[in-house]
Amino acid sequence: MNWKLPFDIPLVVPTMGLPGWFFDTLGVIVFVVHIAFIYTLIGASTASVLYNIFGVFKKSKTNDLLAYKMTNPTTISENMGALWGVAPLLVISVLYTGFFYTAILKVSPHILHIIYGNIFAFLLSYAYKFSWHALHNHKGFHIAIGLVAVLTFYTLPPVFMSMSNLYLQPELFASVQNIWDIMLTPLTFFRLINFFLTAFAFTGIVMIYLGVKWVKAGGEEAEVGRLAIDQGKKWFMWAAPVNIAVLPLVFFAFTPRISEAYIHTPFVFLPFLASAVLLILFFFLLKRFSHVEMNASDATKAMVLMVVAVALMATARHGIRVVSFEEPLQLQAEATEKYMTNVITEYKAHKEEMKNAPKVVLDPAVSLADSKGCLACHSVDTKLVGPSYKEVAAKGEAADVLIASVKKGSTGKWGETPMPPQTLTDEEAKTLIEWVLKQK
Amino acid sequence: MFDFPIFEMPTIGLRMLMAINAIIHTFVSHGGAVGGSVVLALAAWWTNKRGDMAGYETVYRLLMVFFIITTSVGALTGIGMWIHANIISPNAIGGLIRVFFWKWFIEWIVFNFEVIILLFWFMTWKPKALTPQGRSSSVKLGVFYAASSWVTMLIITAILGFMLTPNFDGQPWIDPEVYPGNVNYNNALFNPTWIPGLMMRTFSSIAFAGALAILWTWILTTFSKNEEIQETKERMIKFFATIMMVTVPVAAAFGYYYLLQIPEAARAMIPTAMMTRAFADKMDLMHTIISGIGGTVVLTTIIAYFSPKRMPYIAATLMVSAFLLFWGYEERTREFIRKPFLIYNYMYSNGIRVTDVPYLNKVGILKHAIFVDEDKKVVKEDKSNLIEVGHTVAQIECRVCHTVNGINGLKALTAGWSEAAIRNRINNLPGGGTPYMAPFVGTEAEKDALAAYIASLNKRGEIK
Ligand code: HEC
Ligand code: HEC
Repeated sequence: MNWKLPFDIPLVVPTMGLPGWFFDTLGVIVFVVHIAFIYTLIGASTASVLYNIFGVFKKSKTNDLLAYKMTNPTTISENMGALWGVAPLLVISVLYTGFFYTAILKVSPHILHIIYGNIFAFLLSYAYKFSWHALHNHKGFHIAIGLVAVLTFYTLPPVFMSMSNLYLQPELFASVQNIWDIMLTPLTFFRLINFFLTAFAFTGIVMIYLGVKWVKAGGEEAEVGRLAIDQGKKWFMWAAPVNIAVLPLVFFAFTPRISEAYIHTPFVFLPFLASAVLLILFFFLLKRFSHVEMNASDATKAMVLMVVAVALMATARHGIRVVSFEEPLQLQAEATEKYMTNVITEYKAHKEEMKNAPKVVLDPAVSLADSKGCLACHSVDTKLVGPSYKEVAAKGEAADVLIASVKKGSTGKWGETPMPPQTLTDEEAKTLIEWVLKQK
Repeated sequence: MFDFPIFEMPTIGLRMLMAINAIIHTFVSHGGAVGGSVVLALAAWWTNKRGDMAGYETVYRLLMVFFIITTSVGALTGIGMWIHANIISPNAIGGLIRVFFWKWFIEWIVFNFEVIILLFWFMTWKPKALTPQGRSSSVKLGVFYAASSWVTMLIITAILGFMLTPNFDGQPWIDPEVYPGNVNYNNALFNPTWIPGLMMRTFSSIAFAGALAILWTWILTTFSKNEEIQETKERMIKFFATIMMVTVPVAAAFGYYYLLQIPEAARAMIPTAMMTRAFADKMDLMHTIISGIGGTVVLTTIIAYFSPKRMPYIAATLMVSAFLLFWGYEERTREFIRKPFLIYNYMYSNGIRVTDVPYLNKVGILKHAIFVDEDKKVVKEDKSNLIEVGHTVAQIECRVCHTVNGINGLKALTAGWSEAAIRNRINNLPGGGTPYMAPFVGTEAEKDALAAYIASLNKRGEIK
């Protein structure tokens, strides 16, 4: 295999003595919370625009109200989603530093879209939310704002997913040169389908959950609540079946090295288990399909099943990391150790050498010229960037003029190239120029 | 840096790419979130205490502006700082995360408080505004929000301080001769510029947020259709100006204290950092400009305080712009004076560790450049790939600070230089009036190749 791996950072990993499984579990938990918010963000922002459109075409106030209410989960999940994205980033950066940064560098500068594109979408989604009443009589414009925000949100997962797919498969570092090389692969395609379908299914459950709460509140809200429950079920039941089929496939679309090794670990059961949980949830909702209202405990059960399915998917994904990183981490550790041993040996030898080096006694003016960097551009007898000191001395200008040239910089006297102003005290300048003028 | 894939940002260069994000982030997060939280919490408390309900409503409208900007632009450019650092200095950010992992983790937990409290404060303001109990609990949320924002700044200034002054009383934070590096976490955290830096930032953030609040109060009240809201203009502006009257001088005092803690070599670089090298000796001009900016802040603050009615839009805008300039320069200077290091005395700006240098000088910088094609690593017998090799050396060692044609472009910097002159200059990059440049690292053959490549930049037109 053509491995191209960067060295590890030569500093201890600050585990504070905690075992590896602690960080693995931490990584999975923070990731589940993060992704749950992102699912909600994608789904809720879509729902808000969709029911806004329905509201206009069906002339239905309930739809409009549902659309407005869905801007709250959007706001919360975009804030919390970004925030909980930081924690996995931190854990991954400290444990798998080299692989993660390599993947980011390979998909640059496109990866910056997850910052700037996200800011754009965020601002538009706020504009959409906070202009709701002001633009009540300009629905077309208002919906357009929401739509652009949602579509921009949709462009973020493909970028992020490409980076993460590259990071999970370090053997591709040698061949992938830019983001398209990894985005246009079956793996990214499958994972995106899985992502969006899970997002919609998840949002369906969130809508049921919120709907039940609103029904309880009564009044106008109850009407909206019933609509949310009804629609939530449909979201889930549309999205789940294909997802149930696609989900296990994802784990066989990694490189042969990873997928084949994965089959021989217990992790391989997890995607199927996640599909099974989704299937159970599907039948659970099917049984209650005709019920207009669901009770709180049913909504909670549905939510728990959904979160379990997401957690299983995340653990299955963690399994990929375990399987995939074992060999490269080993290789990286060996290479780094070898490199650092050489570095430290050479560093010590260099220090020793410096200590023992005989002190050369130089003309103080020469060492001053050296330390002030004059000799970077001048030599005594050949022209470099600046004229040779022999030439300067031969021209024989007054010391004051030359001192001024050096301190203030000079151009045009010896050619086009300027001498930048040099930082010198008057004393130093005088010493140097006297020495220069002696070089005839 | 040599062991990571090479990413080049044409024209604007990597430093500018990072600077764009960093400047936006500092303005929004430190100005808007840390300073803003304090200013808004104070304003909410003050208006509520006086039973000034119109003023209280104005504070809500201000909060909305700050909320929108900080949670979108502020939060995402914060994550952006990491992503940009990954791209520009993976070795440095990787090292910083190893040193500060737990502090960053704690910061993240505090961030949770900050964001959740802010969401609560903002989203429950309206229902809570109806009753006195509601309002006083709302004010409390504001105070908690301000406290948690400040704690996040506490940690980030420790990290910034570490990069500039990583040693504490001469105690090393690491022994460079040990692998894997045994970090002394306490020495890393308690570095000499931490507390002064924190204090300067705290008070200048509050002052800046005061200026922003004045500007937005002016906008929101002037364009409000509600007369009661319009009438709050004068007293709200006066209130924010009072905050500034206190914080501007305190920030200046801490700024001076901070300056005294900076290492001598770094302090010497301030004049160059503020302007370009050509201006380094025009100290008079620089002093005039600084006094101009500082004077604008002080003057507009005084006007706002003594005559809030006559705080027209122009003055408010001037106040905010002066602050932006001042802060922009402060940031630039802080970034610049650290040069040629990213972490002082440990890692150069281009990601090469000081300990790596003797070894790399012996075997060559390209020997371990894992992501570079084999035929661009070693100069062939017939020198046919000399320029390609030089190009990779430049990409690895110089691209952090130099572009080819754009900002700080190597082509323009060496226009008219002979190849021998360039080669000689590479021998002593930190000399020659440019102490902020990292030294060349690599073998003599690589130096030849680099010189040939740089010389070829200005010849290229002629060949074609
Ligand atoms: C830490 C940032 C940094 C790094 C790394 C760096 N430089 Fe520079 N370099 C600068 C700055 C800043 C200037 C000053 C530009 C100006 O005068 O405006 C400069 C100026 C130069 C000049 C013009 C000097 C003169 O006397 O006018 C040359 C030539 C140069 N650099 C070459 C290089 C080469 C080759 C490398 C890579 C081996 C390199 N630099 C790496 C920051 C850097
Ligand atoms: C970045 C390259 C560079 C550095 C560093 C540099 N010089 Fe120069 N120097 C030049 C150039 C180019 C000229 C020619 C300027 C001109 O044509 O006017 C020059 C000209 C001079 C002259 C002749 C000035 C005149 O008026 O004729 C003197 C003397 C001189 N340098 C001394 C120094 C001393 C002393 C230092 C160190 C403190 C120094 N230089 C550092 C590039 C440099």
